[in-house]
Amino acid sequence: MARFETPEELVEVLGSFFDVVTTLPQAHLIHQVGGSIEFVYHKPEARIGWLPTPEGPHPFAVVRGALPASALLTFEQDGDTAHRFWQGNLNLQDALARQLVRARGPLSRAMKLIPSLDDVYPEYRRFLEETGRRDWIS
Amino acid sequence: MKTKAVLIEDYGEKVHVGEVDLRDPGPGEVLVEIARSGVCHSDLHVVTGDLPLPVPMVLGHEAAGTIRAVGPGVHSARAGESVVLSWIPPCGSCRFCLEGQPQLCTRAASAAMKGKLLGSDAPFSRAGEVVHSFSLTGTLSQYTVVPAQGAIPLPEGVPLDKAALLGCAVMTGVGAALNTAALRPGQSVAVFGAGGVGLSVIQGARIAGASQIIAVDRVPLRLDLARQLGATETLDVNEEDPVDGLLSRTGGYGPDVTFEAIGRPETIVQAFNAVRRGGTAVIVGVAPPHEEISLNSFAFPSQEKTLKGSWYGSSDPGRALPKLARLVRSGQLWLDPMVTKTYDLADAPMAFDDLAEGRVGRPVVHIGL
Repeated sequence: MARFETPEELVEVLGSFFDVVTTLPQAHLIHQVGGSIEFVYHKPEARIGWLPTPEGPHPFAVVRGALPASALLTFEQDGDTAHRFWQGNLNLQDALARQLVRARGPLSRAMKLIPSLDDVYPEYRRFLEETGRRDWIS
Repeated sequence: MKTKAVLIEDYGEKVHVGEVDLRDPGPGEVLVEIARSGVCHSDLHVVTGDLPLPVPMVLGHEAAGTIRAVGPGVHSARAGESVVLSWIPPCGSCRFCLEGQPQLCTRAASAAMKGKLLGSDAPFSRAGEVVHSFSLTGTLSQYTVVPAQGAIPLPEGVPLDKAALLGCAVMTGVGAALNTAALRPGQSVAVFGAGGVGLSVIQGARIAGASQIIAVDRVPLRLDLARQLGATETLDVNEEDPVDGLLSRTGGYGPDVTFEAIGRPETIVQAFNAVRRGGTAVIVGVAPPHEEISLNSFAFPSQEKTLKGSWYGSSDPGRALPKLARLVRSGQLWLDPMVTKTYDLADAPMAFDDLAEGRVGRPVVHIGL
């Protein structure tokens, strides 16, 4: 059974987690990417974007739904795959090789962030605990 | 300590030689003074961003050198030992290491993607910031620190100044021919791409006794080198379509085995399309990880074609290196013709330009003694 039962649930959970990410020290790394990132989800169908906001209070804004313009980088995946990834339970290289994640755009710029994600994964687990979803953690 | 190294600061920028800090070897690690380091297309792919490894980075992963110091707990290596470096030092405990496929070690692969070593950060830094290592090696440097299991003793009889190529091109290419494809005498073979790896596949095919070895490339220098190293025929893709050309050279059947040693989706498809019914296309070249290919799905069952991947020549480098050394000593494996030009460390950026333009076979940077 899919982790996220509805598009609304996926956007609520991951969107809210991404709001947390905007406050982390690693958030500024989005500027190394050089543009927006869009996450295209299936099962259920949803989209969430990261829009750099150099003038804003945080390095990027979380856009629930389609971005206003084409994203520089797009990652396409199932909701379950995303849930595994943000817990640190998914090797991105393997996931790309198995087409569990499909990337479009300058992937190398996103891969710069990979070493820093080790510090972000525990934050998703903490977020799940704090929002009453401890049973979601694997 | 300080070390001069070939650095890439960001994708799309030119490489340059700069000075970075190198920490002492930690537990299970060794300090290696590099004698020679090859420049591989994979290094180029980091420069272009096609191989998305973290930057800034010390490039290079194909080298021979001498151990100068060992870290705590290292008993398998000693200072003064000549070594060839492996860019997949096996962890020894993951499923793949335990089941005899150390080239697929998951811990090494994960560390490589992060530009780190096994269980530790990259050994290079600059002004307190990390400078990553290319695939647990970072050999285009006067010195590097690597996991001890990645520093393989160089067997006698192979000069240190020639041994660098054993660490990548030869291990990968000869291994693809002898291990992945398990070529047999009398088979017909086509090799797409006559760079360092492709030339090594050609040598492996010759050693295996293949009766027809067709080198496919667009650069005349590489086609000449291919003939010198064992290709029985060449196919210049500037002059003819490679699939049609291979069919016409093999009586309309296609080769028994094809190898793709470039890393481009279109040539991967060509290698598959050209191979005969019941044949095997072996993909050695490293395409960007987000690229996809499209193949005719009916060809798999109806023609019983096999599409097979090959990583580091499907080799256990610790076991493969002595065998490769014996092939060199016996005169069957030729290293000299593959090195068409050497460079001093200060001129290493030129090696990248020459490689990108197809002006050299395998460029080698002369770093140490």
